[in-house]
Amino acid sequence: MDPLILSFAVVNGLLIGGIYGGVALGLSLIFGVLRVVNFAHGSLLMLALYAAYWLQIWAGIDPYYSIIVTVPLLFGIGFMIQSVIIAPLIRRESALVVEPLSALLLTAGVYLVIDNLALMAFGPNVRSATTSFALPPVMLGQIPVNMPRLIGFGAAIVVAVGLAWWLKTTRMGRAIRAVASNRDAAALSGINVPLVYAVTFGIGASILGLFGSLLATFVPITPQVGLNFGIRSFIVVVLGGIGSLPGSIVGGLVIGVFEAIASQFVPATSAAILSLGLFVLILLVRPSGLMGKA
Amino acid sequence: MISGFTRRGVIGTAASLMLIGAAQAQSEVTIGLVLPLSGGSAAVGQQYRTGISIAVDQINAAGGIKAMNGAKLKAVFGDTQSKPDVGVSETERLITRENVAIVGGAFNSAVSFPASEVAERYKTPWVTVGSVKDEITERNYKYVFRINNKATYDAREQIDAMDLLKKETGKGPKTIAMFYEGSDWGRSHAANVRKIAKERGYDIVLDEAAPPNQVDFSAQLLKIRASKADALIVAFYTPDHLLLTRQMYEQRLDIPYGVHSVGGGTEDPSFYKAVPPQAVAYYFVQEDRQVDALQGTRHPEYDDLETKFKAALNYDVSAYGAQGFSLMYVIKDALERSASADRDKIRDALSKTDITSGPAMYVGYRRIKFDENGQNTFANGAISQNLGGQRLTVWPAESRAPTTKPAWPVPAWSERK
Repeated sequence: MDPLILSFAVVNGLLIGGIYGGVALGLSLIFGVLRVVNFAHGSLLMLALYAAYWLQIWAGIDPYYSIIVTVPLLFGIGFMIQSVIIAPLIRRESALVVEPLSALLLTAGVYLVIDNLALMAFGPNVRSATTSFALPPVMLGQIPVNMPRLIGFGAAIVVAVGLAWWLKTTRMGRAIRAVASNRDAAALSGINVPLVYAVTFGIGASILGLFGSLLATFVPITPQVGLNFGIRSFIVVVLGGIGSLPGSIVGGLVIGVFEAIASQFVPATSAAILSLGLFVLILLVRPSGLMGKA
Repeated sequence: MISGFTRRGVIGTAASLMLIGAAQAQSEVTIGLVLPLSGGSAAVGQQYRTGISIAVDQINAAGGIKAMNGAKLKAVFGDTQSKPDVGVSETERLITRENVAIVGGAFNSAVSFPASEVAERYKTPWVTVGSVKDEITERNYKYVFRINNKATYDAREQIDAMDLLKKETGKGPKTIAMFYEGSDWGRSHAANVRKIAKERGYDIVLDEAAPPNQVDFSAQLLKIRASKADALIVAFYTPDHLLLTRQMYEQRLDIPYGVHSVGGGTEDPSFYKAVPPQAVAYYFVQEDRQVDALQGTRHPEYDDLETKFKAALNYDVSAYGAQGFSLMYVIKDALERSASADRDKIRDALSKTDITSGPAMYVGYRRIKFDENGQNTFANGAISQNLGGQRLTVWPAESRAPTTKPAWPVPAWSERK
């Protein structure tokens, strides 16, 4: 294989992998703290994509500026999903189990409702937003690097680092980590656990708000687009180590690069199957994921 | 649902009249049209519907079907959502519930193929519009017709254009990469290109399919780059064609003898609204209809169609709009000769179709005459190249305007302004 093509594939893989990792951050955070597998993760990204799209159509706001709306909007949606839909379940089950398994089914229901409401409201047509910024590709040697993807990649790294720092240093961050490590002990020491849960869910969703705006310029927007990213996010999170923020990015990069290189040898759709094989293999060797604590 | 109720009432009446006997006068002939009015091909479906509706209005305003005492045409639309299963059930609904005399559809080959089978089973004439999958008119069916090209013709025209330009300039591609959508249309086209390219001495260096509605083509574009192909043949519907074209533009992927699209997205005017003009410069497009044919001589008889179409959709009549318009005049021609809404009589009349003039020829074929499999063997398309923001015919040579100078080989991205 031509080394230029190979390095090209690595660059493409890193870019898309970083974006996968960034999208998966919220899922990882929510699972790490609430022990809830949020099946509606992709659907929330889909909502954010549509929010960015409609803001451009109705208000003429460039997708990159729409961040100031989509991030708080998705925070609100996430906060509401947790406090209205999931919280009663956690309250009911808290005495019985530590990991509310039925929350998985509940969020699966949320996913079905959101996706089908979107289909009803927006129709099945493919849409795409356009940015008014001129974003010519950057040349990395002979390899053109797509600017909107590079921005997405950069945002994933910045959000991961920023979030880790925030969790470490702020009062709310410490409260979130306390709840994650032991819910009952945290409650006993006076932490408002339901609020921490809702804020965590909100933050997880607001990251999707950011990526909705950043991806809207190059991802075709349909009501089903969330599923594609949702499933990828699960793989990325489990691969990287559940609850680990750097693990989420690393998992994304591994999947992205692996698929980009494998696609050069087999049809691109078969490469996705191979990446699931890689996923099984890594988990056989390291059941807690690449960056997870054993 | 009131309109649906009365419509059913009208058709019920029409059906009972039909039972009484064909000799009796009929006030209306119901024509079913199964089209992608939503989903990936929705934009195309709207163009068909617009062309069809204009033709129906014209025919009715001009006194309907004269052989049937001025019976009016009535178009009933079914939405396939661009999906085979929905298309099949819509076809069945139109035939059994709406009691249509004839069905037209369905643009997407993956839909037309099974849906026409349903029509055959119900002994209802089916006129294929837009779909090119060869096998649609290769099944020895009695009720299935197709006015436009089949995939073999499309593929042959694409290679013919390369051969022509090679002959004219002494330069041309040796290797071809193929990248196409993985459903019936794309695969059928790829199989034909594979066969014809081999006969003409071209090497296929990449042969890659992609399932519909992708979000990223980076990996596949890299494969095309790695294959160092001289020319690229693509077959995609609008959404994926948009993604492909945008990403090729972003990546500055040079193909010395150009991108040769077999239509789909690149014949859809809404496609051109969504991509920057630089991204589609020098594209070769296999057109269902010579797009620049109407620029020279004016045909006042089409003013009505052209103004109404533009008013409805805000762009000039597309190949799809023209096909829809032409379809209704082909059906009208058959009805004038069958003098009945009886499905078998219409079938017999259709099979004897031989049109060489009139509005049915708007679509630009030499003649409309079906072979024993229902294929119009006189269909032909044209190959255009996007030069200075316009698609100008370069093949066949006799249709090329004297002012059209094909860019061959096409300029590299670095040499473009």
